[in-house]
Amino acid sequence: MLPDLPAFLLVAAAAAVACRFAGYVAMRWLPPSHRLDAALRATPLAVMAGITAMALAVGGMTEALALTLAGVVALVTRNDVGAAVAGVAFGAVLRAFGL
Amino acid sequence: MIRAPFTLAGFGRGVRFGLALALPIGLYGLAFGLVAAQAGMGWGWATGFSTAIFSGSAQLATISVLQTGHATLTAVAATVLVMNARYLLFGATLQPWLSQAGPARALPSLLLLGDANWIITMRAIDAGEKDRAFLAGTGIPPLVVWLGGTVVGAMFGSILPDPKALGADLMLPAFAAAMMAVMVRGPASLVPVAVGAVSALGVGHLAGPGWGIVAAGLAGAGFAALTARPKGHANAA
Repeated sequence: MLPDLPAFLLVAAAAAVACRFAGYVAMRWLPPSHRLDAALRATPLAVMAGITAMALAVGGMTEALALTLAGVVALVTRNDVGAAVAGVAFGAVLRAFGL
Repeated sequence: MIRAPFTLAGFGRGVRFGLALALPIGLYGLAFGLVAAQAGMGWGWATGFSTAIFSGSAQLATISVLQTGHATLTAVAATVLVMNARYLLFGATLQPWLSQAGPARALPSLLLLGDANWIITMRAIDAGEKDRAFLAGTGIPPLVVWLGGTVVGAMFGSILPDPKALGADLMLPAFAAAMMAVMVRGPASLVPVAVGAVSALGVGHLAGPGWGIVAAGLAGAGFAALTARPKGHANAA
């Protein structure tokens, strides 16, 4: 379908690698400071909250229940990976029942 | 120079965490393979894209651009850069920890970086993980099932069940919710949570979820930097 597929693949691959390396490499030129340290520590929580919030905003009852279960199980058991898997499985079961 | 540990044991620990991602990412790979096949791409090219890009959102967006019939190299590059802009933040947050392994180990590890294993690795760092091979380990199971899913999806996608029915789309938010719940320690750490959520909702609604994630990270980081106090004082995050 696309005669230039090899060229498209190479360009896409280069862009993907650039995204993975650029932030890491750029950090070498940022001088250490307490503000940079605070920013780096806050970023994971902010990103996780953003991902969760967007999923809740576009989802319905099934998504809300599945993510709530994942969060509650993680809080109770401190097993975050198990909690996430439980949330996904719960969501799949709810969908199987048509929710 | 003494380098941080980068051992087979740490790699294996990462693999065990990465295995938890395997099923939903494999299903997502199936979906990509199916979409690629429907766009007229053979399984070999579809697998090539999955190997070279290893990012579902960027690959699906690239297929959309290619399907217009008017794709240019610039448009494809811009699509991947925009869809994967969040990886700039991911790489930056990993750098202080990962750079201690040296560039020959750090840079290849970054090729295995994805949304979910970044979350797992940041959580592990927060819990005291010292072995820098952990990140690469977390990336192997997702890569294997991503490629396997792509091949199967491209060859047999039309006869497979809908990945959404099996909860594949819930994988990333479920990991984010669970790990966030464990990483929140006290009221101060709720500040980046609130800032990130509000920013993602505002920007994501206007510009799509990829930019929503970027906005969440930048806003959370920016707010924390502006309100940070030097060591010896209480910090905001």
